[in-house]
Order: sequence, then C-alpha cells, then structure tokens
Amino acid sequence: MKRVLILAIVVLLAGATVSAETTLEWWQFWTDPAVKPVIDSIVTEFESAHPDINVNVTDLTWSNGHEKIVIGFASGRGPDVVELGSDWIAQFAASGQIADLTDDLGADTAGFQGWDMATYEGAIYARPWILGTRVVFLNRDHLTLAGFDTTWLPVSFAQFYDAIHRIDSAGRSQGIYGWGSNTAEKHRLYKKFLPFFWSYGAQIFTDDREYCVLSSLMAVEALKQYKKLHDLYGYVDSQRGIEDAFLNGNVGVILSGDWLLKRIELEDRDINLASTLFPGPQYPGRSFKGGEFLAISEMSDHREEALTFIEFVTSPENQLRFCKANRSANPSSLTAQQDAYFQDNIHLQTFIKQIQFAKHPPVDPDWVYIEDEIEQAVEDALFGDGLPATALLKAQQQISEIMEQ
Amino acid sequence: MTSRRLSRFLFASPWVLSFVIFWAFPLLYSLWMGFTDYRLLSRSGPEWVGFDNYVALFSDSDFLNSLKNTFIFVIGTIPVTTVIALALALLVNREFKGRGIFRSAYFLPWVTSMVVVALIFTNLFQRGGYIALLAQMVGLDVPTHGFLYDSSTALYSIMAMDVWMAVGYYMLIFLAGLKAIPDELYEAAEISGASSLRQFFTITLPLLRPVALFILVINSIKSFQVFVEIFVMTKGKFDTSTVVYFIYETGLQTQFKFGYASAAAYVLFVIIGLFSLLQFTVIRRRQPLW
Repeated sequence: MKRVLILAIVVLLAGATVSAETTLEWWQFWTDPAVKPVIDSIVTEFESAHPDINVNVTDLTWSNGHEKIVIGFASGRGPDVVELGSDWIAQFAASGQIADLTDDLGADTAGFQGWDMATYEGAIYARPWILGTRVVFLNRDHLTLAGFDTTWLPVSFAQFYDAIHRIDSAGRSQGIYGWGSNTAEKHRLYKKFLPFFWSYGAQIFTDDREYCVLSSLMAVEALKQYKKLHDLYGYVDSQRGIEDAFLNGNVGVILSGDWLLKRIELEDRDINLASTLFPGPQYPGRSFKGGEFLAISEMSDHREEALTFIEFVTSPENQLRFCKANRSANPSSLTAQQDAYFQDNIHLQTFIKQIQFAKHPPVDPDWVYIEDEIEQAVEDALFGDGLPATALLKAQQQISEIMEQ
Repeated sequence: MTSRRLSRFLFASPWVLSFVIFWAFPLLYSLWMGFTDYRLLSRSGPEWVGFDNYVALFSDSDFLNSLKNTFIFVIGTIPVTTVIALALALLVNREFKGRGIFRSAYFLPWVTSMVVVALIFTNLFQRGGYIALLAQMVGLDVPTHGFLYDSSTALYSIMAMDVWMAVGYYMLIFLAGLKAIPDELYEAAEISGASSLRQFFTITLPLLRPVALFILVINSIKSFQVFVEIFVMTKGKFDTSTVVYFIYETGLQTQFKFGYASAAAYVLFVIIGLFSLLQFTVIRRRQPLW
C-alpha cells in the first residue's frame, strides 16, 4: 500500500512538472483606450505562440507608477518584466533591482536605437521599446502673418529667434504670443531648456565625468537666450496649457513631442501646422530624447521567458502596431521606422530625423537630484531674481556636492 | 478571564486590531525609521544613524523653507478663517428671509473635493482668469504670468483659497456654539442697558471659548498638514513647498529616503503637538481673553 502511495505521488508530481506553466508578471503604463487593446492582443499572441508561458499584465499610471515599481522591488514582490522610463534605468541598475542584460542583448543591438539610454557603467540593463523627442512646431498662419513665405522654416537660432520676434510683434495685439514658455513644472522645465543648452555646445559634466561644468559660457548664453524668449515673447503656462494655446491659435512656436500630433488628430484640430528640427547655432541643433524601455527584475525566476517576451513585444511588427495605435513617432526599431506609416507623414519624419540629433541626460543614479538643481537654476533665472550666470553657478556647486557625496 | 470580560475584549478587538495594525505600528515604525538611513532603493537595509537625520533637516534649506512656508500658511490662514467664520456665524444667526440658503452656500465649498476646488482656483488665478481680471479692474498689480506663477503671490493665493473653502465649516461650528448660549443672558444684559457690542464681548465671546478652542486646534492641525492644494496647484514650485509636501517629495517621489522623510514627519508631529498645547494653555486660562 505504501509503495502504491509513493508511486502515485511521484506520478502526480511528474505530471505537474510536465504541465507546469510559467507566469510572467509584466508591469506597464499603457492604459489609453486606443493603446490598451494592442497591448492585450500582443500579450494574447505571445501566449498563443508560447503555450507554456502566461503573462499577467499590471497597468501602472504615470502619476504613481514609479512609486509602485520602487515599492514592488523593495518588497520583493516586483514584476518579472517592467516598463521603465529612460530616466529611471540608472537608479534601478545601481540599486541592483534590474538585471544586467549585456550577455543577452549585447550582440543584437544593430537594429535598434536608444541603447545609450539603457547602458549604465558599460552594461545594458534594458531593451529600447518606444523612444521620444521634442521638435519645433510652428503655426504656419502665424508665420504668414509675420511676413514669411509659405514654405519657410528656421534653420538657425538667428532665424528661429527672428521668427518668434516677428510673430509676437505682428500678433500680440490679437492675443498671439511668439513663444510657448513652460512654467516651473517639475520634470518638464529642464527638458525644454536642455535643447538650448546642448545646442550651444554646453555640457553638464566634463567628458571624464570628473567635474560639473554647468555654468560654462555656452550654458550661460543658452540660459540668457531662453530667458529672453520667456521674458519678451513667452506665453507662460504648463505644458498642457501651452499646447492648448498653440492649438487655439494663441501661440506661434512651441517645442513639443509626438503627443501633440495625437491630440491634433483625435481632437480634430484645425491648425496650419509646420514642424522642423530644433535649429541650434548651426542646423540642426540638439533636442532632448527619452523613451520607454523593457527591463527584467534581478529577482525574476523566469529570466529566459522574460527575455523571449521582451523580444516579442519590441519586435518591429509589434512596435509598428503600438506606434499606430498610440500615434508614437519614434519606434526604437530601425526596421519599423522604414514603414510607409512613418515615411509618408511629414511630421513623423521630423521626429524620425530629430532623434538622430537628440541627446539624453547622463545615465546617472543621482540624476533625480541633478535634474532638480538644473530645474531650480532655470526657475531662478526665469521667475526669480537670479541672473543666468549666478543661477547656473549655484546649481553647479550643488551638483558638485552631490557628486562628492 | 471571566466570560463577561472576554466578551468585552472580543467586542473591542476589531477596533484594537485595526488601530494596532494601521495606526500604532506605522507610527512606531516610522519613529524608528527616522533614526535610520533607510532608502527604499538601497541595496542594504536600514542602518541606525541616531539623530543624524534630525541634524541634517535643520541645515537643509529645502526643509527650512518648507517649514517657513508652513508657518506662514498657518499663521496667515487661522486668524482670518476664524474671524470671518465668526462674523458669518453672527450674521446667519439672525432672523432674516433666506438665511438657510446663505448657510448652505457658505458650507458648500467644504463638502466639495479639495482637488476640484484647487483645479477651479488654478484657472481663476491664472493670467486672464476671473480673479486676475477682477484685480486689474480694481487697480491691483497682477503678476505677468498669473498669481500662481509668481513666488511673491503663489502661497498667498493658495492661502486665500483655503480660507474661502474652510470658512463655511467653522461658521457652522460657531453657529452651533451661538445656539447653545441661553437667551436669558442677553435678556438680562438688555435690561441692564448693555449695548450690543458689550453683549458680544461680555457674553458671546467668553461663552464661545470652548468652540473657539476646538476650531483653533482643528484648524491648526489641518493647516500644518496642508498638502493637496499645494500638490494640485503648484507642485511646491514658486516658493510654496510645505513640510508635508517636502515629506512626500523626499519619501515618495524621486528620492525614496524613508528615514529622512520619517524624521521630517516627526518634526512636524512635535510642532503640531506644541502648537496645540500652546493653544490649550492660552485659551483655557481662567482670565478673560477679550
């Protein structure tokens, strides 16, 4: 009897092992009704193609998703696969929460953009999924009002500033401002300033990362010019407020992302839109870039399955489906970028070109503190009594202290 | 344990359990965390650092600035709210047609969500908003980009909104206090020839003292903990960060310094305790205050 019982247990256990399924926990941010069905169908197709793997999707929100990820990792109940913003990768990599994927992904980087943002101290920690950058949007009617011909677009800072000045001069009496200038919004203001900063040739750190050089002459010039636009021609509001004003015809020129194209399409906005690369002293300048990445938890017991999954999600075909649903302009896949969807749309083309001339902030676990200091300097110069040079010098000293710590 | 005592214990235990799990434990745990360097993103666990967090807080310009703003908020809003609430209570305590409508109207902001109110006022305070236009009409200087985008006006604008929102609630409490004062006292005062003003200072105010104490203490605690309006309207920018916003930023936003944030929370706890004690001591004096 005892032998029969043991045999039965062994058979049951063996059966259980054969039919065991792996469940992957995936935490992601896309809850938009236009995008969520695509996410769900990608997951369903993956599960059909891999019957031994289930994927459990948890939706996060942009307002508290970061907190949830941190708490999830800290409590040991984090996901296997997690979507991370480019700014967060260094933080999670440095704290050992996400896995080093260099050996798994390092040999297959050629077909994708954005690896620089996923690389911390020489190791790759995530796979690029959807990237993003900012381009210059102009209201063509306002350009015409200011005396520019119907195809003209600025290709240098001199022309860019002149266009803003002339739109403002011609339109202010009708409530039209030349430039949409961001108020002191956390995580947003510095992203608008850094394109000016980089385009003037300024750097946050020396190349060897030994010193902070935030208050260089080029940086001061960038902040002076940014402040001038703000003070003289600026319609100052939140990013959303600036975009509303632009779409309502109250602002001539703004710096914005691909979400603006989505708004124009979904809200059926009637605007004579032009888009161009961020100009710089010489064309083109350097815009800001970021993106969404897929990383694997260091604690995951299903690393191989997770790798298979992120490769599936970030495949060119699935990126294309995602971009079409979300109207995203910058898939990380170079193959996806060649699709007629991007090639036939002049504004999406601007984004595809711009990302080649865009920079990302240093991949640094202390970036949250550094970002704060840069933002404070810009805020002091724009809204306080600080001169650009003194505001940047103060921030440089603070960042140097952070680096020393 | 007798069955009677056991049943008492069992009846009380759900509340005791929830108190221990959701209040007492977090309270003590955060007190302990305040003495550690605990960061949620740290590879290592929390390490005891003694009073280092408390020492660091008092040399942290962000914290000190938040503390300053919190005191400005408390000292600026409490007297104004209390005086206006009392004045309104005296007004709606009189017999006149439609006073029920006034009472409801004054109380309505209090039952509206703070987030909704804050969003509405964000629009009112912005450039071209009704408040900005009204200020211009009466010849006041309006900041170029609106009241909330200027360090010299942002905090005061939020304080004004807070007073508008809270005044109806405290009016209602004062009204309850007024109703509890016996009419005989006023009749006797009138027979003695006391003027209305004298009646107010010798009868109404002294008898409202317990109500005033309650309002001051409750309003102080609420004001020291101001957060939602700051979060919705300015995100702590334009010199509007308060202590609770600082705690949120430090502990839950980008830095995840739980130890440091817990220490800041306990500093606020002590301040609120001392402030309440001061109010109790002053208002419970036997001598008349007014």
